[in-house]
Amino acid sequence: MGCAKDIVEHCGVPRFVFSDFPLGNAAGKPHDMASQRQTLTLALQALDTASAARTTVTSPQQWSPDTQWKADFYSIAKLSDEELAQRRAEFDKIKAVGKEVRDQAEG
Amino acid sequence: MNQTQTSAPVGYMQRMRDYYLALGYNNPYQWAYHESVPFQALKKPVTQSRIGLVTTAAPLKADAGDQGPGAPYNAAAKFYRVYAGDTARDDFLGISHVSYDRDYTTADDIGSYFPLAALRGAKADGQVGGLSPRFYGLPTNRSQATTLNQDCADLLAMLQEDEVDLAILVAN
Repeated sequence: MGCAKDIVEHCGVPRFVFSDFPLGNAAGKPHDMASQRQTLTLALQALDTASAARTTVTSPQQWSPDTQWKADFYSIAKLSDEELAQRRAEFDKIKAVGKEVRDQAEG
Repeated sequence: MNQTQTSAPVGYMQRMRDYYLALGYNNPYQWAYHESVPFQALKKPVTQSRIGLVTTAAPLKADAGDQGPGAPYNAAAKFYRVYAGDTARDDFLGISHVSYDRDYTTADDIGSYFPLAALRGAKADGQVGGLSPRFYGLPTNRSQATTLNQDCADLLAMLQEDEVDLAILVAN
């Protein structure tokens, strides 16, 4: 189950239920058990019915009539040079923390 | 942007390549690619199968800062070994350690990324034969060799130990 269609299909998996939702909602809409049950049901059906690897089932659910979220994710269109530099500094910090945690875990 | 463009799925690989190039990184991430993908037809129906839930969500880590809904990206919350948890409990699992869409969603309902409640419902309704006593946490490690050679091997051992018939991975 996932929301990043291109990444999962590029990787290749036996069966894939794609929800066209913002990343973080691969199991269905938040606070919506009907959506979550329906998404899981698609996964169970895909297990039963797929006959070959790389089978993708697309959920018919829509996140919202407004699709602005698709344009906004990781968009650089509206970022100034200053904002880009700030984001880079933040990401360098994140990477340093990640490396430290990884080194500790492996140490 | 017109409706035709926005109704298509987001091209995440290109979007993230462009983003990190704009930030000045010149070593674009190489996404995992497998020429050959395994496939097993079911040996018995889903309604008679034991399901194992595999997640990339992280257990709460002490002293690792904000890991709750809406938390900023938190690399300190990452984990680097496969873990297992009890499917009879409702422990907190977070996704602050991955790049979810923090502008349009807040991860304040665990059910949107970890469908344990939905699976319990499916079991109660007879949609699945059973639920493994444990769920399984798979690291979002950037080393594909580690994922394949270490994490997948560890995960498979746990699934086999619990006699899981079918695994559902929910990627975040």
